[in-house]
Amino acid sequence: MYSTSRRALTRFAAQICQRRGLHAGATGATVNDAEISHFSRLSSEWWDEGGEFSFLHRMNPVRVRFIQEKLAEIARDEALDGGEITQAGSVLQGLDVLDVGCGGGLLSESLARLGARTVGIDASGANIAIASLHASADPSFRLQSSTLPPTAQQSSPGRNSLTYLHTTTDALLDSTSEAPTLSIPRQFDVVTALEVIEHVDNPTHFLDTCCSLVKPGGHLFLSTLARTPLAYALTILFAEHISGKVSKGTHTYSKYINPEELIDFFKNHPESNPAQKWISPEATSYLPRHQAELKGLIYNPLQGGWFLAPRNSMAGAQCNYIFWVRKPKVSNPA
Amino acid sequence: MVTIIHFPMLSRSALCARRCRSFHPAIRELSKRKASTTTTDSHENVDVVIVGGGPAGLALASALGSSPAIKDNLTVALIEAGDLTKIQEWSASPGDFSNRVSSLTNASQDFLKRTGAWNSVDQRRTCGVEEMQVWDGVSDARIEFNSTDLGAESSFNGMSRMTENLNLQRGLLRHLADMPQVQLLQKTKVQSITRDSDDKQSWPLVHLDNGRVLRSRLLVGADGFNSPVRSFAGISSYGWSYDTQAIVATLEHHPRGAFEGPNTTAYQRFLPTGPIAFLPFSSTASSLVWSTRPHIAKALLSCEPAALSTMINAAFRLPAFSLKYLYDRILEAHAAGTPITPAQLQEEIQFREKAHSIDPLSTHSSLIRHSGPVGIASPDAHLVPPLVTGLQPGTAASFPLRFNHADVYIGEGKGSRTVLVGDAAHTVHPLAGQGLNMGLSDVECLTRCIEKAILHGGDVGSYTALLPYAQERYLANHILMAAVDKLHKLYTTELEPVVWARSVGLEVLNELDSVKAAIMMQAGANAQQHGSPGWNAAASVIQNASAAVETVSAVVPALSRTIIGGIGNLLAQVNQTKRQV
Repeated sequence: MYSTSRRALTRFAAQICQRRGLHAGATGATVNDAEISHFSRLSSEWWDEGGEFSFLHRMNPVRVRFIQEKLAEIARDEALDGGEITQAGSVLQGLDVLDVGCGGGLLSESLARLGARTVGIDASGANIAIASLHASADPSFRLQSSTLPPTAQQSSPGRNSLTYLHTTTDALLDSTSEAPTLSIPRQFDVVTALEVIEHVDNPTHFLDTCCSLVKPGGHLFLSTLARTPLAYALTILFAEHISGKVSKGTHTYSKYINPEELIDFFKNHPESNPAQKWISPEATSYLPRHQAELKGLIYNPLQGGWFLAPRNSMAGAQCNYIFWVRKPKVSNPA
Repeated sequence: MVTIIHFPMLSRSALCARRCRSFHPAIRELSKRKASTTTTDSHENVDVVIVGGGPAGLALASALGSSPAIKDNLTVALIEAGDLTKIQEWSASPGDFSNRVSSLTNASQDFLKRTGAWNSVDQRRTCGVEEMQVWDGVSDARIEFNSTDLGAESSFNGMSRMTENLNLQRGLLRHLADMPQVQLLQKTKVQSITRDSDDKQSWPLVHLDNGRVLRSRLLVGADGFNSPVRSFAGISSYGWSYDTQAIVATLEHHPRGAFEGPNTTAYQRFLPTGPIAFLPFSSTASSLVWSTRPHIAKALLSCEPAALSTMINAAFRLPAFSLKYLYDRILEAHAAGTPITPAQLQEEIQFREKAHSIDPLSTHSSLIRHSGPVGIASPDAHLVPPLVTGLQPGTAASFPLRFNHADVYIGEGKGSRTVLVGDAAHTVHPLAGQGLNMGLSDVECLTRCIEKAILHGGDVGSYTALLPYAQERYLANHILMAAVDKLHKLYTTELEPVVWARSVGLEVLNELDSVKAAIMMQAGANAQQHGSPGWNAAASVIQNASAAVETVSAVVPALSRTIIGGIGNLLAQVNQTKRQV
């Protein structure tokens, strides 16, 4: 059941950490072909565009477009007069981006190709391994990964910086932990946690950690599913049970988060600072354009693609949706 | 409390176990992968490798190299086994035209203009087609297309532009010469294509005969009908041979008279053995594409040029029955080893014309009576092409025709990161002049898909990035190819009911200007993209027509009841009278 698999995961995760320490540099041991084939089969699930994750693959360009357009909109608002208009295509150049729960690296690779200095983290070591393996095949990346033995870190000519870490947001924030082997910033311009929060035990704590990882004035992108009967019908009943496109147990209805709940969270966040909440509490019936935005993600089965619903339309956000919120800049330095 | 981030899609315990055991191989796989890309014999990483330097491949290279979104982000290489410098340096005198020509629709020209390649094509060697005369070889039913039906914009430029393939390729090569970032590897053969590893995420490795190995993110097959890229990708295709050879040649003829229009009319006559087409190039030179049975084609090509040009004149004018007789004579002579002489052929034609009572001075006479252009031509002179006086030496050739369509355009599994464009994807009968235009539309769509993928940071070789190309082009190509194939089959039969039906249909269609305009627009005469303005126009015509039909059908039954009732009464009265008598 659900809890036993969670315990199993905790146990195996611990073993992974131990093993990594022991075998970090080993390259000459005998190879088990069965393990290689198991691994190949697994990696092919993430990057098999017609398989289990096909919905995510089709959703990826649309999410990236939303991120680009939102960042460009804000950049244009804040551009000094007479400056060049920021184009959506180049807005990610040079920004520090953290992709929480990167999985197989679908989003991280796209962001890195657009010029962002991307760090992808995941609590599952196998996911990081899969993501690193896939990214290592692409010569356009300057890849660093915690699963790579130091001797094999490539000094590749790729110009797009991509780093994968097997860690959690808590560990990143924990200043007493051992210094990470790969140098990454403490806070990021953009933090993305897409399709993650519905798999988390304590969403509030998770959001707290994500918020702390965002630079002041930085951006946080979340995407998840709403806890509505429509979402149950589409993503669990139809996708998992009836058509079998997604394997059973992928989603749990009770962990879906409604858009109103997210908005309420950011209206009360941070608890410590009553003056400057992320979304102004006075905005009772609308979302201020420069603070937050909500867009539903709708799947068109005829074309096999996703499209974005109109801005801030709750009707469109009844199933999948993507949410952007901005961390206020520090108004009075402490 | 430590928060553990779950990924329940992998949370099944069996999967957990596999995942942990397989953690080792991940590191090993990574270190192996690193080694192979840096220390083995130089795999050069090229983003887009185009195999094939024909018009489609060159157009794709030119479009990728000129697109602002792509040119700074992707490296492109084009591989061609032949000699491209010869094509780049090709020059011919103004009156001599090459025999491989294509009719570029306005949509294709628009694409070439947008990439900037059209400026490098020699416009003086092209000819705008302003009118098309198409008629049935058995029943003489005729349909005429005129560019004035399309509106002012198109009537200036014509419906399409006759261009030599060499002219187009040379223009594309000149355009590519200005792009140092696009590598042109000519006189280089692709020895083999392999994958760089055994898992499903492998990249294609193109081994060239000069020892270089290109590791490509996206492999484009623009390598013609027998595409090696298509077989590497494991894509099967569906098609058949038409049992037809197309004879091509450049024809010489007198210019049109002072009271006739300029030579901008294309003619096509549908004979039972296949269509014969006359495509204008200049006032005294035009191009021939004659599709006919292979044995007839062989016999015709073995004749003297003078005999062949006489036969071409007869093919446009003589009734189909007499033509069959002439074929028999030619085949007899060919089988006997002495190809028919021009004098013998002219004698036969004279005899046949007398039998059909064709006036020797009318337009329907195939024999040349005058040494120069005619003073005042008869009023129906525009219905047939000018009389051919000879062939340009060395231009008579033939090639086989077939129908072929790949099952899919994007490779999957072992063939992933592969895409097909142009003749590698589809081959079609030349009767509608659509083959090259379909290829250029493919290239235009693929360029757009690549641009879109780059804009959102996608991997241009991934299935997700290429899927819109297949979705847009497969159905459009399939419909066009099916239509051309059905047309070919419709016109190669001599069964009387079919001939009657197609002739009536053609004559009716000839009267419907709106539908003709729609057909021309759909075939690309308008430079509009992404939609079917032609069918929208046709649909509105059909809507109006059906409204009219409804009105008529409401009236006719009432009328017919009256008429039938009247006749019934008459008959009854006649019977009564009979019985009385």
